[in-house]
Amino acid sequence: MIMITGGAFQGKTEFAKTRFSLKDEDIIDCGSCELDAVPESRCVRNYELAVKRVMARGEDPLAFTDKLKCDIILMNEIGSGIIPLEKSEREWREMTGRAGCIIASRAGTVYRVCCGIAQIIKGEEI
Amino acid sequence: MTLITGGSKCGKSSLAEKLLDRYGDNKYYIAAMQPFGEEALAAIDRHRKLRAGKGFVTIERYTGLAELEIPSGSRVLLECMANLCANEMFGESGINDPEERIMRGIGHLRALTEELVIVTNNVGSDGIDYGAETNGYIRALGRINTRLAEAADCVVECVYGIPEVLKGRLLL
Repeated sequence: MIMITGGAFQGKTEFAKTRFSLKDEDIIDCGSCELDAVPESRCVRNYELAVKRVMARGEDPLAFTDKLKCDIILMNEIGSGIIPLEKSEREWREMTGRAGCIIASRAGTVYRVCCGIAQIIKGEEI
Repeated sequence: MTLITGGSKCGKSSLAEKLLDRYGDNKYYIAAMQPFGEEALAAIDRHRKLRAGKGFVTIERYTGLAELEIPSGSRVLLECMANLCANEMFGESGINDPEERIMRGIGHLRALTEELVIVTNNVGSDGIDYGAETNGYIRALGRINTRLAEAADCVVECVYGIPEVLKGRLLL
Protein backbone atom coordinates (compact mmCIF):
# COMPACT_ATOMS: atom_id res chain seq x y z
CA MET A 1 0.00 0.00 0.00
CA ILE A 2 1.19 3.48 -0.90
CA MET A 3 -0.06 6.61 0.83
CA ILE A 4 0.17 10.08 -0.65
CA THR A 5 -0.67 12.93 1.68
CA GLY A 6 -0.18 16.69 2.00
CA GLY A 7 -2.31 19.83 2.15
CA ALA A 8 -5.12 20.63 -0.26
CA PHE A 9 -4.18 21.59 -3.84
CA GLN A 10 -0.52 20.69 -3.47
CA GLY A 11 -0.43 18.44 -6.54
CA LYS A 12 -1.01 15.01 -4.95
CA THR A 13 -3.20 13.71 -7.76
CA GLU A 14 -0.85 14.99 -10.47
CA PHE A 15 2.05 13.33 -8.68
CA ALA A 16 0.16 10.01 -8.42
CA LYS A 17 -0.78 10.11 -12.10
CA THR A 18 2.78 10.82 -13.22
CA ARG A 19 4.61 8.58 -10.80
CA PHE A 20 2.31 5.55 -11.14
CA SER A 21 1.17 6.04 -14.75
CA LEU A 22 -2.49 6.47 -13.83
CA LYS A 23 -5.25 8.04 -15.86
CA ASP A 24 -8.04 10.16 -14.38
CA GLU A 25 -10.45 7.23 -14.60
CA ASP A 26 -8.06 5.02 -12.60
CA ILE A 27 -8.48 7.25 -9.57
CA ILE A 28 -11.70 7.01 -7.57
CA ASP A 29 -12.81 10.18 -5.79
CA CYS A 30 -14.08 9.36 -2.31
CA GLY A 31 -16.19 12.52 -2.31
CA SER A 32 -18.50 11.31 -5.07
CA CYS A 33 -18.00 7.59 -5.73
CA GLU A 34 -20.06 4.63 -4.57
CA LEU A 35 -18.82 4.50 -0.97
CA ASP A 36 -18.79 0.71 -0.72
CA ALA A 37 -16.55 0.53 -3.79
CA VAL A 38 -13.75 2.37 -1.98
CA PRO A 39 -12.11 -0.56 -0.12
CA GLU A 40 -11.75 -2.66 -3.30
CA SER A 41 -10.57 0.19 -5.57
CA ARG A 42 -6.97 0.24 -6.74
CA CYS A 43 -6.44 3.95 -6.26
CA VAL A 44 -8.59 6.42 -4.29
CA ARG A 45 -8.27 10.13 -3.61
CA ASN A 46 -9.79 12.43 -0.96
CA TYR A 47 -9.95 9.53 1.48
CA GLU A 48 -10.76 12.05 4.24
CA LEU A 49 -14.16 12.43 2.52
CA ALA A 50 -14.76 8.69 2.71
CA VAL A 51 -14.24 9.02 6.46
CA LYS A 52 -16.85 11.79 6.55
CA ARG A 53 -19.36 9.80 4.51
CA VAL A 54 -18.92 6.62 6.53
CA MET A 55 -19.52 8.64 9.70
CA ALA A 56 -22.63 10.19 8.14
CA ARG A 57 -23.97 6.65 7.68
CA GLY A 58 -23.46 6.09 11.38
CA GLU A 59 -20.69 3.55 10.87
CA ASP A 60 -17.18 3.28 12.29
CA PRO A 61 -14.68 4.90 9.89
CA LEU A 62 -11.75 3.10 11.48
CA ALA A 63 -13.30 -0.33 10.90
CA PHE A 64 -13.95 0.81 7.32
CA THR A 65 -10.31 1.89 7.01
CA ASP A 66 -9.14 -1.51 8.28
CA LYS A 67 -10.91 -3.13 5.32
CA LEU A 68 -9.04 -1.12 2.66
CA LYS A 69 -7.36 -3.20 -0.02
CA CYS A 70 -6.25 -0.24 -2.15
CA ASP A 71 -2.79 -0.02 -3.66
CA ILE A 72 -2.65 3.78 -3.58
CA ILE A 73 -4.49 6.10 -1.20
CA LEU A 74 -4.46 9.88 -1.50
CA MET A 75 -5.56 11.78 1.56
CA ASN A 76 -5.42 15.45 2.55
CA GLU A 77 -3.77 16.57 5.72
CA ILE A 78 -6.55 18.43 7.50
CA GLY A 79 -5.46 18.71 11.11
CA SER A 80 -3.37 21.88 11.13
CA GLY A 81 -5.97 24.50 11.99
CA ILE A 82 -8.01 25.61 14.95
CA ILE A 83 -10.22 22.97 16.60
CA PRO A 84 -13.57 23.35 14.80
CA LEU A 85 -16.52 24.75 16.74
CA GLU A 86 -18.90 22.21 15.26
CA LYS A 87 -18.89 18.85 17.07
CA SER A 88 -19.34 16.82 13.90
CA GLU A 89 -16.37 18.64 12.31
CA ARG A 90 -14.23 17.92 15.37
CA GLU A 91 -15.16 14.24 15.24
CA TRP A 92 -14.45 14.10 11.50
CA ARG A 93 -11.05 15.72 11.98
CA GLU A 94 -10.19 13.32 14.77
CA MET A 95 -11.30 10.24 12.86
CA THR A 96 -9.48 11.40 9.74
CA GLY A 97 -6.30 11.76 11.77
CA ARG A 98 -6.67 8.28 13.21
CA ALA A 99 -7.59 6.75 9.86
CA GLY A 100 -4.53 8.46 8.36
CA CYS A 101 -2.33 6.90 11.05
CA ILE A 102 -3.77 3.46 10.28
CA ILE A 103 -3.13 3.87 6.55
CA ALA A 104 0.37 5.24 7.12
CA SER A 105 1.24 2.37 9.45
CA ARG A 106 0.07 -0.19 6.88
CA ALA A 107 1.68 1.59 3.93
CA GLY A 108 5.12 0.50 2.80
CA THR A 109 5.77 3.94 1.36
CA VAL A 110 4.31 7.28 2.38
CA TYR A 111 4.78 10.40 0.30
CA ARG A 112 4.03 13.93 1.44
CA VAL A 113 3.48 16.43 -1.37
CA CYS A 114 4.13 20.13 -0.85
CA CYS A 115 4.07 22.62 -3.75
CA GLY A 116 4.03 19.71 -6.19
CA ILE A 117 7.19 18.18 -4.70
CA ALA A 118 6.86 14.71 -3.20
CA GLN A 119 9.03 13.71 -0.30
CA ILE A 120 9.18 10.19 1.04
CA ILE A 121 8.42 10.30 4.75
CA LYS A 122 8.25 6.53 5.23
CA GLY A 123 9.79 3.58 3.42
CA GLU A 124 11.52 3.65 0.07
CA GLU A 125 10.87 4.59 -3.53
CA ILE A 126 8.93 1.84 -5.28
CA MET B 1 14.91 31.47 -7.98
CA THR B 2 14.13 30.26 -4.47
CA LEU B 3 10.65 29.57 -3.10
CA ILE B 4 10.15 29.60 0.65
CA THR B 5 6.91 28.18 2.02
CA GLY B 6 5.56 27.14 5.40
CA GLY B 7 2.85 28.10 7.84
CA SER B 8 2.33 31.45 9.46
CA LYS B 9 5.16 32.94 11.54
CA CYS B 10 7.62 30.11 10.95
CA GLY B 11 10.71 32.15 10.08
CA LYS B 12 10.23 32.37 6.32
CA SER B 13 11.11 36.07 6.11
CA SER B 14 14.27 35.80 8.17
CA LEU B 15 15.45 32.94 6.01
CA ALA B 16 14.60 34.85 2.83
CA GLU B 17 16.55 37.88 4.01
CA LYS B 18 19.50 35.70 4.97
CA LEU B 19 19.59 34.28 1.44
CA LEU B 20 20.27 37.78 0.13
CA ASP B 21 22.78 38.71 2.86
CA ARG B 22 25.68 38.02 0.56
CA TYR B 23 24.65 40.91 -1.68
CA GLY B 24 25.47 44.42 -0.54
CA ASP B 25 23.52 46.47 -3.02
CA ASN B 26 20.86 46.46 -5.72
CA LYS B 27 18.53 44.71 -3.28
CA TYR B 28 14.82 45.27 -3.46
CA TYR B 29 12.06 44.15 -1.15
CA ILE B 30 8.70 43.96 -2.88
CA ALA B 31 6.02 44.22 -0.23
CA ALA B 32 2.62 42.92 -1.32
CA MET B 33 0.73 43.33 1.92
CA GLN B 34 -1.75 46.19 1.82
CA PRO B 35 -1.62 48.37 4.94
CA PHE B 36 -5.24 47.85 5.95
CA GLY B 37 -5.97 47.78 9.64
CA GLU B 38 -3.93 47.72 12.82
CA GLU B 39 -2.73 44.14 12.53
CA ALA B 40 -1.38 44.65 9.01
CA LEU B 41 0.37 47.83 10.11
CA ALA B 42 1.93 45.99 13.06
CA ALA B 43 3.10 43.15 10.78
CA ILE B 44 4.56 45.64 8.30
CA ASP B 45 6.33 47.47 11.10
CA ARG B 46 7.79 44.23 12.45
CA HIS B 47 9.08 43.27 9.01
CA ARG B 48 10.56 46.74 8.44
CA LYS B 49 12.54 46.37 11.67
CA LEU B 50 13.69 42.90 10.64
CA ARG B 51 15.02 44.32 7.35
CA ALA B 52 16.49 47.53 8.79
CA GLY B 53 20.17 47.96 7.97
CA LYS B 54 20.23 45.07 5.52
CA GLY B 55 20.36 47.28 2.45
CA PHE B 56 16.92 46.65 0.97
CA VAL B 57 15.03 49.28 -0.99
CA THR B 58 11.35 48.70 -0.21
CA ILE B 59 8.84 48.79 -3.05
CA GLU B 60 5.19 48.51 -2.11
CA ARG B 61 3.45 46.72 -4.91
CA TYR B 62 0.09 45.06 -4.39
CA THR B 63 -0.78 43.93 -7.92
CA GLY B 64 0.54 43.98 -11.48
CA LEU B 65 4.10 42.68 -11.05
CA ALA B 66 4.40 42.34 -14.83
CA GLU B 67 4.41 46.13 -15.14
CA LEU B 68 6.86 46.77 -12.30
CA GLU B 69 10.02 48.59 -13.33
CA ILE B 70 13.18 47.57 -11.53
CA PRO B 71 16.81 47.74 -12.64
CA SER B 72 18.23 44.77 -14.49
CA GLY B 73 20.42 42.54 -12.33
CA SER B 74 18.47 43.28 -9.15
CA ARG B 75 18.30 40.94 -6.20
CA VAL B 76 14.69 40.76 -5.15
CA LEU B 77 12.80 39.44 -2.17
CA LEU B 78 9.08 39.21 -2.90
CA GLU B 79 6.79 38.89 0.10
CA CYS B 80 4.28 37.45 0.26
CA MET B 81 2.67 35.42 -2.54
CA ALA B 82 -0.40 34.75 -0.37
CA ASN B 83 -1.06 38.51 -0.21
CA LEU B 84 -0.32 39.07 -3.87
CA CYS B 85 -2.65 36.21 -4.82
CA ALA B 86 -5.46 37.69 -2.69
CA ASN B 87 -4.87 41.18 -4.09
CA GLU B 88 -4.99 39.93 -7.67
CA MET B 89 -7.98 37.70 -7.04
CA PHE B 90 -10.23 39.98 -5.01
CA GLY B 91 -9.82 43.33 -6.78
CA GLU B 92 -12.21 46.20 -7.34
CA SER B 93 -13.42 44.59 -10.57
CA GLY B 94 -14.71 41.52 -8.71
CA ILE B 95 -13.14 38.07 -8.53
CA ASN B 96 -10.49 37.18 -11.13
CA ASP B 97 -8.37 34.07 -11.52
CA PRO B 98 -4.95 35.32 -10.39
CA GLU B 99 -2.81 32.46 -11.70
CA GLU B 100 -1.82 33.70 -15.16
CA ARG B 101 -1.33 37.32 -14.10
CA ILE B 102 0.96 36.25 -11.29
CA MET B 103 2.95 33.81 -13.41
CA ARG B 104 3.42 36.53 -16.03
CA GLY B 105 4.62 38.90 -13.30
CA ILE B 106 7.09 36.33 -12.00
CA GLY B 107 8.38 35.72 -15.54
CA HIS B 108 8.97 39.45 -15.86
CA LEU B 109 10.82 39.59 -12.53
CA ARG B 110 12.94 36.57 -13.34
CA ALA B 111 14.11 38.19 -16.55
CA LEU B 112 15.27 41.26 -14.63
CA THR B 113 16.70 39.75 -11.48
CA GLU B 114 20.00 38.13 -10.72
CA GLU B 115 18.43 36.55 -7.67
CA LEU B 116 14.76 36.19 -6.82
CA VAL B 117 13.49 34.89 -3.50
CA ILE B 118 9.74 34.43 -3.09
CA VAL B 119 8.02 33.94 0.24
CA THR B 120 4.65 32.20 0.11
CA ASN B 121 2.35 30.44 2.56
CA ASN B 122 0.79 27.02 3.06
CA VAL B 123 -2.91 27.60 3.58
CA GLY B 124 -4.57 24.30 2.62
CA SER B 125 -3.93 22.06 5.61
CA ASP B 126 -6.77 22.71 8.00
CA GLY B 127 -9.54 20.81 6.21
CA ILE B 128 -12.09 23.57 6.72
CA ASP B 129 -14.70 24.33 4.07
CA TYR B 130 -14.64 28.12 3.84
CA GLY B 131 -17.15 28.42 1.00
CA ALA B 132 -16.62 28.88 -2.72
CA GLU B 133 -14.64 32.13 -2.73
CA THR B 134 -12.07 31.23 -0.13
CA ASN B 135 -11.80 27.63 -1.35
CA GLY B 136 -11.10 29.14 -4.79
CA TYR B 137 -8.34 31.23 -3.25
CA ILE B 138 -6.78 28.19 -1.53
CA ARG B 139 -6.89 26.33 -4.84
CA ALA B 140 -5.35 29.25 -6.76
CA LEU B 141 -2.52 29.71 -4.26
CA GLY B 142 -1.84 25.95 -4.26
CA ARG B 143 -1.58 25.94 -8.03
CA ILE B 144 0.62 29.03 -8.11
CA ASN B 145 2.92 27.56 -5.46
CA THR B 146 3.18 24.32 -7.42
CA ARG B 147 4.10 26.19 -10.61
CA LEU B 148 6.61 28.37 -8.79
CA ALA B 149 8.18 25.29 -7.19
CA GLU B 150 8.49 23.66 -10.59
CA ALA B 151 10.35 26.70 -11.95
CA ALA B 152 12.46 27.30 -8.83
CA ASP B 153 16.05 26.11 -8.36
CA CYS B 154 15.45 25.68 -4.67
CA VAL B 155 12.28 25.11 -2.63
CA VAL B 156 12.30 25.27 1.15
CA GLU B 157 9.58 24.59 3.70
CA CYS B 158 10.19 26.37 6.98
CA VAL B 159 9.24 24.66 10.23
CA TYR B 160 9.71 26.88 13.28
CA GLY B 161 12.75 28.45 11.69
CA ILE B 162 14.20 25.17 10.48
CA PRO B 163 14.58 25.08 6.70
CA GLU B 164 13.50 21.76 5.19
CA VAL B 165 14.88 21.64 1.66
CA LEU B 166 12.33 20.12 -0.73
CA LYS B 167 14.26 20.81 -3.93
CA GLY B 168 17.77 21.84 -4.91
CA ARG B 169 20.35 23.21 -2.50
CA LEU B 170 20.02 26.02 -0.03
CA LEU B 171 22.91 28.45 -0.53
CA LEU B 172 23.35 30.36 2.69
